[in-house]
Amino acid sequence: MSQTHLSMEALLSLREPGVEPGTATAREHLNQCPVCQAELDRLHQRVARLKALPPLRPGRDRWPETNARFRAERRRRTGRMAGLTGLAAAASLAAVISLGRMTQPAHATVEQLYQTMERSQALESALSQYNPEGRMLDGRTARMAQELEDRIARVDRELEATELLPQEAPEDQLLRLWRERVGLLDALVDVHVTRASNAGL
Amino acid sequence: MDSSLLANADTVVARARTGDPEALASLYRAFEVPVYNLARRICRTTEDAEDVLQETFFEVCRSIGRYREEGSLWGWVRTIAASKALMRIRRNKYRDTDELHDEVVGKRTEDSHLRMDLEAALERLSETSRAVVWLHDVEGYTHEEIASMMGKTPSFSKSQLARAHSRLRTWLGEEGAA
Repeated sequence: MSQTHLSMEALLSLREPGVEPGTATAREHLNQCPVCQAELDRLHQRVARLKALPPLRPGRDRWPETNARFRAERRRRTGRMAGLTGLAAAASLAAVISLGRMTQPAHATVEQLYQTMERSQALESALSQYNPEGRMLDGRTARMAQELEDRIARVDRELEATELLPQEAPEDQLLRLWRERVGLLDALVDVHVTRASNAGL
Repeated sequence: MDSSLLANADTVVARARTGDPEALASLYRAFEVPVYNLARRICRTTEDAEDVLQETFFEVCRSIGRYREEGSLWGWVRTIAASKALMRIRRNKYRDTDELHDEVVGKRTEDSHLRMDLEAALERLSETSRAVVWLHDVEGYTHEEIASMMGKTPSFSKSQLARAHSRLRTWLGEEGAA
């Protein structure tokens, strides 16, 4: 038996799967050395104690902030998409309708759709100036903002689903959804304007 | 998937992929404590750990559509959390030198013959050593996986682990020779 006891690195390597160079020699030493056997036992126990440490819990709920940040990013993305493709889609929708159906009510709906989408973009732009996700909100304001963000997210999902419909674009439905989105964005801007004026910003 | 942490995990994930706020909140509630625990065991302060918690779930919300269900859901979330925690300690390292902290703490406590409890001893390790100990011994990552996440070699991970265990052994007042 070697007189030198195993190093911590050698003891740790004995716990690893597979055989590394030197493992056989180390194991041979271990089998004959009560000191190293005791050390390995202590190592096993230390790791077991580490695994048994009670879980630490966060001191506060970070979900409202996380969710608000995610919603804001998603809304910005949707806003950008609406800016890039939404108006183009509305324009092609208008073209299809004017060429295909030539019905005055449908054309009026598309005009309204245009205006509502533009209003939505203007509100997004106003909202970005308040940079809501970068500011601290009190609990009540954060809850109101989160509820509105959640409702906007639901409308966005409905909009995505509606725009993906394979059949003719249901312009009345789109208009209803975009109007709902504008109403919610209006309310969200109000929440942040009120908060900013209360804070003297 | 992790039925113990999240009931109806398949349904929740499917809904979360559509951006459903309730499903995303369910994911957060299911994994909030293990993610925070991992972050807090690695990071030096509660503030850093809470930031890692938020960063992790922000990434989970953004990337849930890319989760392919090849491994466990917790495994996927945990890798994001570990990566965010390691990113945090790397950032901290630019502010104050982790190695210096490690050396100073090591000398001070080895000289003082204090016998600490495990929590305190773990806390005394440098962030890098603690990260390796926690990821390897508790979370079950291999040295190769830790090395890949840290941008180091497996030898670095092994030597950090050995050094950390030698220190823990001394600080915990365990006797014996190795």
